[in-house]
Amino acid sequence: MSDDDIIIGTRLDESWLTLEQVASTCQVEADWLQRRIAEGLVPPPERMGGIWRLSGTMVARIRRTRQVERDFDAFPELAALVADLLEEMDDLRAQIRRLTPR
Amino acid sequence: MQFKDYYQILGVARDEAADNIKKAFRKLARKYHPDISKEPDAEARMKEINEAYTVLSDPEKRAAYDQVGKGYQPGQDFRPPPDWDAGFEFSGEGYAPGDLHGAGDFSDFFAELFGRMGGQHGPFHAGHGAANLRGENHHAKVLLDIEDAYTSPSRQISLRVPNVDGSGRVRLTTRTLNVKIPKGVHEGQVIRLAGQGAPGFGNAPPGDLMLEVHFRPHGRFTADGRDLQLTLPVAPWEAALGSVIAVDLPQGPVKVRIPAGAQSGRQLRVRGKGLPDNPPGDLLLNIQVILPPADSPKAKQIYENMQSELAFDPRREGRD
Repeated sequence: MSDDDIIIGTRLDESWLTLEQVASTCQVEADWLQRRIAEGLVPPPERMGGIWRLSGTMVARIRRTRQVERDFDAFPELAALVADLLEEMDDLRAQIRRLTPR
Repeated sequence: MQFKDYYQILGVARDEAADNIKKAFRKLARKYHPDISKEPDAEARMKEINEAYTVLSDPEKRAAYDQVGKGYQPGQDFRPPPDWDAGFEFSGEGYAPGDLHGAGDFSDFFAELFGRMGGQHGPFHAGHGAANLRGENHHAKVLLDIEDAYTSPSRQISLRVPNVDGSGRVRLTTRTLNVKIPKGVHEGQVIRLAGQGAPGFGNAPPGDLMLEVHFRPHGRFTADGRDLQLTLPVAPWEAALGSVIAVDLPQGPVKVRIPAGAQSGRQLRVRGKGLPDNPPGDLLLNIQVILPPADSPKAKQIYENMQSELAFDPRREGRD
């Protein structure tokens, strides 16, 4: 395909993916993702049969949890807590941005 | 291409034990983590630190790096000799999900050293039993205007992506794509471009390109998820008596009823007039009452009449 062709983008939260595609999107391993979902440590993507659908926020959340686990050898529960706090911080920063006059 | 001293990046000696390398990495990861660091170059430093740790935490990559980098100084022009990696047995799969990094996260230097994919003896051969391996997903950020959520425009996006050359080495090159942005995107959402990631191995399909959406700051609007927010200046009589005001939005003007007695700081919610989605977001209007200046005899007279005719003390509230 030429670089001049227009590529149609689809919203991730409207795309149904296999577990492997979800894991690849989040840059995690599929078995790690399944374990953490079963343990309730990462939000479960919407599921229908063998395919999944997830939002950009969930992707960020899953990636962060995995990164904290890996970078700091953190307990999964602790990594999930850190991801919770980072998400909260994102929300508060966004609120500050909205309230700050330009 | 400049030589990168991974030991210097992590602040460790060349003969440092693996445990200490891990400790140094964690300390730096905490300092430069882009989510919490206040350092201006945190994101770039974190990428560099991740790259250094990816090499030095892997005994095979570390040994190869030590061998090829002998005698080089940081920043010195570097070109690895041909087949420098012959004799090393790498077990990793390069930019595999287990590394938690996309190839685009790493430097040209890393790509040159460890980027041989599918080669006969390179570090990034497909691995045992992986003759058909789906291509890796690539990730990038895309900066859009809030108006783009309404119009589904085409945008040209330039990305640095790894390409495998004839000798099997990976080179980072710039790739320009014309992308049709789907309608209704908002901040933090991901746009998926199916099949635009790394090519697959064997007969496996390519990966996808994932674009994380960010909005440029806008002079009037801010977006909160699918809700659109703006400050609406109103005259004192519009606020006091109530009024219908036309508000210009990206999809065209909408008429909004301001209830009588509206005060500055009050927020009005207009359902369904935010960013397009299913269901659409809401429009949030922050009322800001603007006083006309008392800069003419007539304006002064009106204020003086109000002062004498109205028993109004804005500081009385809360004292009664």
